Amino acid sequence: MSGGQYHRPHRRAWFMERPAYIRFMIREVTSFFMAAYLIVLIVTLAKVGVGEAAAAEWLQALSTTGWKVAHAVALAATVWHTITFFAAVPQAMPIYIGEDRLPAPIAKIVMGYGPWLTATAVILWGVLR
Amino acid sequence: MSRGKSGRPTRPSGEAFWWALFSAGGVMAAIFVPAFILATGFLLPSGDPAAAAEGAQRLAALAGWWPVKLVLLGVITLSLFHCAHRIRHTLMDLGMRNLAGFLKLPCYGGALAGTVWLALVLWGI
Amino acid sequence: MAETKTITLELFRYHPETDSEPRFQSYEVPYDEDWVVLDAINWIKDYVDGSVTHRWSCRMGVCGSCGMMVNGEPKLTCAAFLKNYYPFPIKVEPLVNFPVERDLVVDMEGFMDKLQDVKPYIIRDDVNDTSEGEYLQTPAELAQYKQYSMCINCMLCYSACPVVGHEDDFLGPAALALGHRYNKDSRDQGQSERLEVMLRSEAMWGCTFVGECTVVCPKHVDPAGAIQQAKAMGAQEYFKRFVMPKGAGATKGAGA
Repeated sequence: MSGGQYHRPHRRAWFMERPAYIRFMIREVTSFFMAAYLIVLIVTLAKVGVGEAAAAEWLQALSTTGWKVAHAVALAATVWHTITFFAAVPQAMPIYIGEDRLPAPIAKIVMGYGPWLTATAVILWGVLR
Repeated sequence: MSRGKSGRPTRPSGEAFWWALFSAGGVMAAIFVPAFILATGFLLPSGDPAAAAEGAQRLAALAGWWPVKLVLLGVITLSLFHCAHRIRHTLMDLGMRNLAGFLKLPCYGGALAGTVWLALVLWGI
Repeated sequence: MAETKTITLELFRYHPETDSEPRFQSYEVPYDEDWVVLDAINWIKDYVDGSVTHRWSCRMGVCGSCGMMVNGEPKLTCAAFLKNYYPFPIKVEPLVNFPVERDLVVDMEGFMDKLQDVKPYIIRDDVNDTSEGEYLQTPAELAQYKQYSMCINCMLCYSACPVVGHEDDFLGPAALALGHRYNKDSRDQGQSERLEVMLRSEAMWGCTFVGECTVVCPKHVDPAGAIQQAKAMGAQEYFKRFVMPKGAGATKGAGA
């Protein structure tokens, strides 16, 4: 057929076309691992609800290598989520001081890394004290 | 969905609501979840029965305190909706656009089910 | 005497009257390190093959007409220097995510349509008489939207965005950034009219913040950032309407 516009074929594997698209997909896929961890976390809390004996048994099960590896993967995915999320903060939530925009590195620390490290320190202190 | 002459929808949708949960959940997950994983994945579990029992005691004491319960409920619920929204859009970007409406059910429905389950669990601690 | 250096350009060719499928045609072009891809295409059209069809105008990164895919990257061809590709061949295609009209020329109709949807102009309920003077604005108020007003409608961002490629309802980076530009203008009163359009299912929410629109933008507009801010603004409007269903936040009947 000729005489009309040419429509290029739809690219199903578009996410393989540019390195940035692959990085985007990795960021998006972190949510699968995070969701899996959140379910395990609710199970952990449910065991606490059942009683301390059940919780102790569950915590013993979680100490096996398989669970450690799974948690390591979830941790890597979640930390990557944190880093990529904070990277977007200066773009998504610009702060102006008069005519000037708060520089990106400062915005990331004030609205991202600062609260993150504080929360992490408080949680670890709460668990370890 | 009614569509205008351009073929695009003509009325506002509820996407804003899911995006708001996604956005709030993204912040919560970024700030709290890595530390949660460190705690419940590495610091509290132990192969030694006595140490595991002590870990369980610490966790029970923490999760039994109502301010901690509130934080857990807020962080976990919003993070679940964050994941639900992102998983739905990832599947759409991967070619499941024609299922955009249907995907809401397993994704947001799953997050809602997780929320109810979590609320019941926290109520029982 | 040194031989004249040349570089190969592979141009995407498609003439609707004769072709059912596009093809690539190679041309040897004299290499000059001051030349850009657009100079090379103009040389081909002037001296080798007058049937090559492409759009261009200002040759200085202002008009936004000469956007094409250069080795798979959306680029203004007036700003893509041959020396960055030499001695390798350069493949030039029309911008992706648009229908091809002829050779390197794409159909902009869909884009223009989406641009109109966001009402990219100042909307006022009360229009001051000219004798009252201009609507004044402080430098701080200007800073809120200035970056987003630099768009030259070159459409590179539409070619960099995968969502544009698979979601017809998505208004796309440039249109949304421009809508946001007017929403952030202190002289404008049309925010709720524009958000009415942007709140539609995939119009704005289809964006998953891939961020490549911002990377390819030759004018540093940052459409990706603008869209996330617009989403936050849209979500506020959504909840406002939810709490106050009738005419909430709307100064005028939202949308036609």
